[in-house]
Amino acid sequence: MRVEAKQGWLASRVPGFTCVRDMLCESRSPGAPWLATLPTLLAAMLVLLLASGVVLAPFYDPRHAYAALQTIMRDVPGGWLVLSYHQIGASLAFALLYLHLFRILLVRGYRAPAEFGWMLWVKLLVVLLLAGWMGFVLNGGVGGHSSLFNAVNAAMLLPGIPGAVAMWVFGGASGGATLARLLVFHALLALCAAWIILMAFAADKKARPVLQGPGVPFWPIYAAQYFAALSVLALVFAVLLGFVPHWGQGTQNTIPAATAVIPAAISYPWYLTPAAGLAGAFPGVAGHICAMILAAALLYALPWLDRSRGARHGRVYMALTWLLGVDVLMLGLVTAFPMGGVLPKLLGLWFYFHFLVLTPLVTMMEAA
Amino acid sequence: MMRRFFASLLAGGLLAGVGAHAQDTLAPLRFQSDGVFGSIDLAAAQRGFAVYQGVCASCHGMKALHYRDLEALGLTPEQVAGIAAGVKLADGHAATPNSRFKQPPLVSRGGAVPPDLSSIVAQRSGGTHYIYDFLTGFGPAPAGVTLLTGHSYNGAFPGGQVAMPAVLHDNAVAYADGTKATTAQEAADVAEFLTWSADPNLSTRHAVGVRAVIFFAFLVIVAVLTKRRIWRERG
Repeated sequence: MRVEAKQGWLASRVPGFTCVRDMLCESRSPGAPWLATLPTLLAAMLVLLLASGVVLAPFYDPRHAYAALQTIMRDVPGGWLVLSYHQIGASLAFALLYLHLFRILLVRGYRAPAEFGWMLWVKLLVVLLLAGWMGFVLNGGVGGHSSLFNAVNAAMLLPGIPGAVAMWVFGGASGGATLARLLVFHALLALCAAWIILMAFAADKKARPVLQGPGVPFWPIYAAQYFAALSVLALVFAVLLGFVPHWGQGTQNTIPAATAVIPAAISYPWYLTPAAGLAGAFPGVAGHICAMILAAALLYALPWLDRSRGARHGRVYMALTWLLGVDVLMLGLVTAFPMGGVLPKLLGLWFYFHFLVLTPLVTMMEAA
Repeated sequence: MMRRFFASLLAGGLLAGVGAHAQDTLAPLRFQSDGVFGSIDLAAAQRGFAVYQGVCASCHGMKALHYRDLEALGLTPEQVAGIAAGVKLADGHAATPNSRFKQPPLVSRGGAVPPDLSSIVAQRSGGTHYIYDFLTGFGPAPAGVTLLTGHSYNGAFPGGQVAMPAVLHDNAVAYADGTKATTAQEAADVAEFLTWSADPNLSTRHAVGVRAVIFFAFLVIVAVLTKRRIWRERG
């Protein structure tokens, strides 16, 4: 069978196959910027995370989590390398996703008809944050353990169905059995992330304006761009892997959780710090939980909070978006290096103020 | 042209490496494992193991390590088997290369439990240098400092006093390679050994890292130039 015949045979039986093929092969509008490759790079990192996670999982023992990681690093041939792939892959996946989300905010790519794609990217953020937090806990170190302890305590306070679901996830007081449960959910969320990013690709493709004129082919025009972008990512990856493998991972997980050590402040991996900072904007355990849900809901509802109705971008809202980026960055920093005072709270509250008040107000005024 | 360039680069690196051995690494204090291009000084780490085995091991365990892991420090399997055979485990049997390092009986010094040293360099801020500073930081308490019972003054330890006594002194161990066993030398050697034990793949990681970075740096240049050319001609 010739290649075309094979493809025709597959395409007539597997609808998903044509979708993937079209994504790669159809003509596109010329001159896409470098930053448009971010979703593809993120997908590459998710593939790496899935692959390295599958290699690591059989060596992991939730009842002796810290010792299992030590075994992987010291006794499993190449284990230290695969573990580093997983840790650095997580770091870079979050970096790429944060960059991509910020870029969508800047170009206001969340407005109709792209709002469904935006909602999928927000879902991906939520799923990856949960999976990333579980990965942090699965290390079996002091930092992860005390974060899990807080989470389980919060879950026990939840009433009704949310409480029942949370207890089903955690199973009870934090221990080896809880880690065994989290391992399952960590893997499940990873598969969800893979599914969501595929959906997001499809939704973004549908939202693209209809091609005017002949367009340019994927090969070699965009293949060359993706290859160059991937090689830049690989270079960054190699620098992290070779020389600063633990950069931004939090320092407390080097200490085993079994010892009775309770850190004064949990040092989270850098990619969880903005979320931890946002949770801290409202007081009390219930406040933390509501803050997280509200933050995700606000991002999710952004296409409707923006009242510009497709009008041109205004300068003030653009400046406010940059300010939001700085705010989230600062929020991560003050969470990573606790300093006390009102600044962390203010930075957290600004996020909610931006989406709840400034976004509808300013976009409406600018569209008028 | 390129090959000659790399040959000279490599030769320069090797020379710098050889030169480092000839220097006095204690004043100023310098570890071969320091920095992003560092690697474990195997001779120092072997001496450091001798210090651990002779002095530290009576109170501190290293439960992540097996005796066979010492082969990574350049010891032969026979030497490792000899070391293991000399260790009597708690069950009365001699250790084998596949045994984990012997766990010392749990001694509590006024409520303080000696920490496991497997990953201590990763667990303490300052890492290798902190271990050296701590081991050489014992001394008489300055005026105005009241020591707790059973505690020693140590300027490098947070809070200044620690339940561990000063255990290193000149000739606490006899080095097989003839190096003079001063307190500072012992502290530096055991710090290098603990650096290895906290990250046994440090040397490999850096070696792989350098190659990968050189490869991908060239790949980035080639890929970006190719992309620009294709976009200019076809785009």
